[in-house]
Amino acid sequence: MSERSIDVDLTRASSGQVVKERIYKWLLFACAALTVFVTAAIIYTLATDAIAFFMTEDASVTGFFTGTEWIARSDGGTFGVWPLVTATLTITFVSALVAVPTGVAAAVYLSEYASDRMRSILKPSLEILAGIPTVVYGYLALVYLTPALQWIGIPVSTFNLLSASVMVGIMIIPMVSSLSEDAMSSVPDSLRQAGYGMGATKYEVSTGVVIPAAISGIFSSFILALSRAIGETMIVVMAAGLRPRMFNFTNPLDNLLSSGQPMTAGMVSAVTSDATGGSATYLSMFALGLTLFVITFVMNLASDYVASRYQEEYQ
Amino acid sequence: MATDQQTGTWYGTGEAVSRVRGQAFKTLCLSATLLALLSVFVLLLYVANDAFQPLSADTGWLLVTIGTVVVPSLAAVGYYYTRDTRAGETATIALGLPIVSLLLTGGVFITFEHVVSVYQWLSILVSLAVAGGIVYAHSRVRTEADLERLVVVVAVPALALWFIPKLILSLPMLPTQSIALLGSFVVPVAVVVGLFVRRQRENDRDGVIAAVLTLVGAAAGFGVAPVVGITPFVWMLLVTVTAVPVSLYVESVIRRGAGVSGLAFPLIVVGGIVASAVLTDTLGFAGPTPWLDWGFLTNVPSRTPEDAGFYPPLVGSVMMLLIIIISAFPVGVGAALYLEEYAPQRGRWGRLVDLIEVNIGNLAGVPSVVYGVLGLALFIRAGGLGSGTALVGGFTVGLLILPIVIISSQEAISAVPDSMRQASYGMGATKWQTTRNVVLPEALPGIMTGNILAMGRAIGETAPLLIIGAPAVVRIAPNSFTNKFSAMPRQIYTWSGEIDAAFRHGVLAAGVVTLLVVLLLMNGAAILIRNKYQRRE
Repeated sequence: MSERSIDVDLTRASSGQVVKERIYKWLLFACAALTVFVTAAIIYTLATDAIAFFMTEDASVTGFFTGTEWIARSDGGTFGVWPLVTATLTITFVSALVAVPTGVAAAVYLSEYASDRMRSILKPSLEILAGIPTVVYGYLALVYLTPALQWIGIPVSTFNLLSASVMVGIMIIPMVSSLSEDAMSSVPDSLRQAGYGMGATKYEVSTGVVIPAAISGIFSSFILALSRAIGETMIVVMAAGLRPRMFNFTNPLDNLLSSGQPMTAGMVSAVTSDATGGSATYLSMFALGLTLFVITFVMNLASDYVASRYQEEYQ
Repeated sequence: MATDQQTGTWYGTGEAVSRVRGQAFKTLCLSATLLALLSVFVLLLYVANDAFQPLSADTGWLLVTIGTVVVPSLAAVGYYYTRDTRAGETATIALGLPIVSLLLTGGVFITFEHVVSVYQWLSILVSLAVAGGIVYAHSRVRTEADLERLVVVVAVPALALWFIPKLILSLPMLPTQSIALLGSFVVPVAVVVGLFVRRQRENDRDGVIAAVLTLVGAAAGFGVAPVVGITPFVWMLLVTVTAVPVSLYVESVIRRGAGVSGLAFPLIVVGGIVASAVLTDTLGFAGPTPWLDWGFLTNVPSRTPEDAGFYPPLVGSVMMLLIIIISAFPVGVGAALYLEEYAPQRGRWGRLVDLIEVNIGNLAGVPSVVYGVLGLALFIRAGGLGSGTALVGGFTVGLLILPIVIISSQEAISAVPDSMRQASYGMGATKWQTTRNVVLPEALPGIMTGNILAMGRAIGETAPLLIIGAPAVVRIAPNSFTNKFSAMPRQIYTWSGEIDAAFRHGVLAAGVVTLLVVLLLMNGAAILIRNKYQRRE
């Protein structure tokens, strides 16, 4: 027995052991590589069927990207994407009006002013807000917010962009506030101390030192949150309606009060309608999906770029 | 002095003004935060009011309930908050743990009822036990044959799972369902409980006692359960999934001796509810008629709001979660392990790994509706799986939460101190041994927290289910992964199309409250795990 233990080579594993190690490594690598496959699959499936869509006689590339009329019937229709894009942009813009000031103010309060106890209550509450499913927000917008708006005298129709975009805005507040707060709390304390040393008040330090120092993180949180608002589906499907309408430039406010169909809602209505598998209406979902994917992908990349490019290095 | 005046850029020149301004700014920031929170919580209060209809009750009922339940609970909360915060923590867990365990019990019950029958489960366990025995025997007989063992480890369980279940299920005589459950579920749970207690207390005897108590408590169901009015089957599930964790927790609190008074809180609440029920019954006050009641949870969807129920979507959601747990979680944790433990830092492979990381970050930002389209194209049209089935739903939503699982698991893994890895290498362990025996157990609470939160995200996803064709209404709870299914949010969306006020403000509210309660409990459990873990650091 003792003889054998001396023979054991501590520095080299048996060949079986080596193979086993290698197999585990490649297995884990396969798991990580799956995510690349997912991206590739998204692009491939969206692109092939989007091409099939542009091949149908009802649709063309120029008509899709320049048309201002979207009529999707089960046997075909007219497919100009601008009514959907403008509805999406309207919702994104109004939700940004709601979420950006509120989110940044909440982040400033949490990062600069809140006591530990206050923070321990407010932060989990915001996390809960972020965890509420979008179908619930959609339900709140449809069943409570829209009647409330009508009650205070705003002449909104049953389905309208206003309550949908306010709800989308409320939904993305936690995202803006938590990401911005992360950026603000990573501003080193020495900067704040320097500000105080110069005789600045807390307000002047917050607005004059902390926010400028964290501005790259704050902007990247805006971009991420807006990309989330663009891709938001259930709230707009439930509260904004499924009827595409071109943006009315003569009376911009009117767009908010009436229904509209953003891109995500267009995809849902294409797949839940009775359009058959190969029809232009059904395939339009993929063209819309590709447009949406490209927009959000570019925005996410831009957010990363802003965060890393304009980040101040504090050591 | 003159230079001071000249620069003119010193702060604090207008003291009085800036104080007002600062106060105003602080108030503005605080009110923005509160506005965001309150706007949603007020709406949620409306929803809860619609779901439970408390105002439909007699005034006497409300007064009695306030007197027996609300006032004592609030008094207890006030006491814990001001006097004994430690007991307050205990009170939170002591009230929350039974509720979470009951939810889990419901999930296990639905699993045994609709997904795997007890006999299937028993046969799977037997096959795994047989396979484990063979693998163990092989490792003892041929200690050096690592390569051969690799083949054995893969092949034997696969063969066992293929043959033995068929063999067992074709047996002419099967034990009753309850006995099968006792053998296949209670015994393993008892063993796990015993091992857990033994490790916690470092005492063999206590472990054996815990295991035996679990077994006896569950087996007592054969005699006691009919007296209480439930089947032995339900009794066993209640004992193993609800009673065991609760009693373990109570025991640990009492033994630790800190914050014991918190244990009284659930008793106050439950006692208050019982007292209120007895009092209102004897005094003849009518209670409210809530939309969210037992009937709602156990009925099937219906065209009449009074009969409408939520049971098939509940089963569908459980099935979807099961698929996600066995598909997305292992892959996600595996990817995180690779990126944190194995991935090279530089060179061509390093750049590839950077690409993968950027890609994961971007995937987390892809809209959920796009994942629905991916699932439709990948699993239904290319993979040939049926549209709207639980399998496709689970896979699609699994892909959606994969980036979240990976990122949160990565955080948990990277929080494991490097010294532990070095110690393991120093003992001669290989990379995989270190990963499996040191990194993974240490990161497990963090990984669990992230995964539960990801499950919360998964359970609320609706848009992908619409795209993959989950039907608007499912009247019979699905019994297999290849049946058409509907999940909770999908059903809520269907109901939102009803114009009837009873649906809009009643049934829909009840469904939303159910979904939110499930979510809140899951998030609460995740936060509890996180807090317990963080304190140990």
